[in-house]
Amino acid sequence: MAQAKPINKILTGNRLRTGDTVYYTAAGAWSAYVSEAKVVTTPEGVEELDKAGKAAYAANQIVDINIIDVLPGDGAKPSHIREIIRATGPTVRMDLNKPVTPAGR
Amino acid sequence: MYIYDKYDQTIARERVTEFTQQVKRRLAGELSEDQFRPLRLMNGLYLQLHAYMLRVAIPYGTLSAKQLRKLADIAEKYDRGYGHFTTRQNIQYNWIKLDQVPELLAELATVEMHANQTSGNCIRNVTADQFAGVAGDEVEDPRIVSEIIRQWSTFHPEFSFLPRKFKFAVTGAPKDRAAIQYHDIGIHIVKNEAGEIGYAVYVGGGMGRTPVVAPLINAFVPKAELLSYLEACLRVYNRYGRRDNIFKARIKILVRDLGPGEYKRQVEEEWQRIRGTGIDIPPEEEARIRSFFKPPQYETIAEPVHSFVEAQAKNRSFARWVETNVHPHKVPGYGAVTISLKPIGGIPGDASTDQMRAIADLAEKYSLSELRVTHVQNLVLPNVRQADLHAVWQRLREIGFAEANIGLVTDIIACPGLDYCSLANARSIPVSQRISERFADLDKQHHIGPLQIKISGCINACGHHHAGHIGILGVDKAGQEFYQLTLGGAGDETASIGQLLGPGFSSDDVVGAIEKVIDTYLGLREKPSETFIEAYRRVGPVPFKESLYGGH
Repeated sequence: MAQAKPINKILTGNRLRTGDTVYYTAAGAWSAYVSEAKVVTTPEGVEELDKAGKAAYAANQIVDINIIDVLPGDGAKPSHIREIIRATGPTVRMDLNKPVTPAGR
Repeated sequence: MYIYDKYDQTIARERVTEFTQQVKRRLAGELSEDQFRPLRLMNGLYLQLHAYMLRVAIPYGTLSAKQLRKLADIAEKYDRGYGHFTTRQNIQYNWIKLDQVPELLAELATVEMHANQTSGNCIRNVTADQFAGVAGDEVEDPRIVSEIIRQWSTFHPEFSFLPRKFKFAVTGAPKDRAAIQYHDIGIHIVKNEAGEIGYAVYVGGGMGRTPVVAPLINAFVPKAELLSYLEACLRVYNRYGRRDNIFKARIKILVRDLGPGEYKRQVEEEWQRIRGTGIDIPPEEEARIRSFFKPPQYETIAEPVHSFVEAQAKNRSFARWVETNVHPHKVPGYGAVTISLKPIGGIPGDASTDQMRAIADLAEKYSLSELRVTHVQNLVLPNVRQADLHAVWQRLREIGFAEANIGLVTDIIACPGLDYCSLANARSIPVSQRISERFADLDKQHHIGPLQIKISGCINACGHHHAGHIGILGVDKAGQEFYQLTLGGAGDETASIGQLLGPGFSSDDVVGAIEKVIDTYLGLREKPSETFIEAYRRVGPVPFKESLYGGH
């Protein structure tokens, strides 16, 4: 029997007002830091993220909502280069990059 | 330069008011994202990877010093201290906040600027030869007809919902510096045997996933009837262009499918119907617009200008910069300076607030307050006295924009790519930076000679890779960035589409592959004056394939 593909996903989008890239957290808030994203590993978890995304979109808070893959293991580390760049900033302007974790943690 | 009349001012002001209300309603939740998206795009506002991006129109690439200073202020106040000049001679800001856009647009309007029609399926910013009005080889200043087209196409009710976006380019010179045959409509200003000025009209060119060099549809449209002819061209497209498939919706597909002959016949038929019905510009209005572009008061200067000649003799670096970055001016004693926004290892087309301000100062002091943006992502000071060139060069050195590389291997076009753009598949800028660093040695660059490298981070081809002597296309191969090479493209009067060489290269290998291509060229050119593109056209792709792929 074929094994189901492992699930490691997070929810992301951009704030309507500022355009900032943000991630959905376990506390149900939206954080600028990818390390604070809630990682789900089950189909039910994905469904929950989907619902949260749709709710934030309907509430006119977050736009361009996507559920994306992260690497398995600790912390939410995006697997695709596009999302790695989204999480930190342009690779050609390191001076403008943001950390994946808030300062002091 | 053109100066807004009361209609232009009203249009700009009313649009700011309208969009301000729309933003307010969006933030209050009265408009949904689906309702708002087309409205913001009509105002040049995109949502990219990290933030909103605002594209500001710079009509036919002409700017005043005052406008550039305002663009610098906006970069400082609303962005992160820089802007990006694009291949459509516009400027983009990468870090814009939606709630600040109304205020930003109101500020822009104070210097007769806006972001209208920089997105959406309408007629976009008209581009033109950056040496308009100063090139010795031009038949007529292309900014006159560009401005006429700008006014005709602004909020044109019939053409505000075309099947797809629509781009015009105009050249007044036989040397095409505006890549007109890569546009939906390219206009070449010509003179007929009777000495009358008219327009050769090319229709159906473009880049993207289906690159096409536009065929000539009419060799001579009389000057007085251009707008009715263009209206007929657009009308046939608007009627029959495909709306069912976004990839087949550009006019190039319609012209290709109908065949240029049949398209031309339909345009002629439509034109005969609408000719003389009041679409064309009245002669007095043409004269009014023309008057804005009359040549400035140049001084009478005898050549040679001794101080200029001596400065070149004394300073090799300056002489080299003059060789590549100063274009001959039609008026004796003057030169047109191309400011390279391509410092070695820099980001093509990016300029900081301070750099923009310094360039605005230079324009004010040395170039009759005027500037141009080139489609190769550089800036131009069009009217510099030769006696002032050395001072201009010294100041440019201080701000890091004195690279003597115009037209050479490090004068690279690169789209924003995956560092900023939500459509991109791969990064463009870091590849351009590494190529630039690899070929930093100016002796080597001059030894290689004229060579245009153009990089796009996806098939939409904003980086003009199809028109590059060496084109680089970034693709996503199983989550990894890969780069395909095309050779033999050109965007000038000998326009051609670059041909794909073979399988792509990894990010680590692509710069080495470019070097191999260039070494192959250096090994096979018949003499140093045979340029890369000439050599490629003589020998074809085989020697390059052999050196890259071992003949397999």
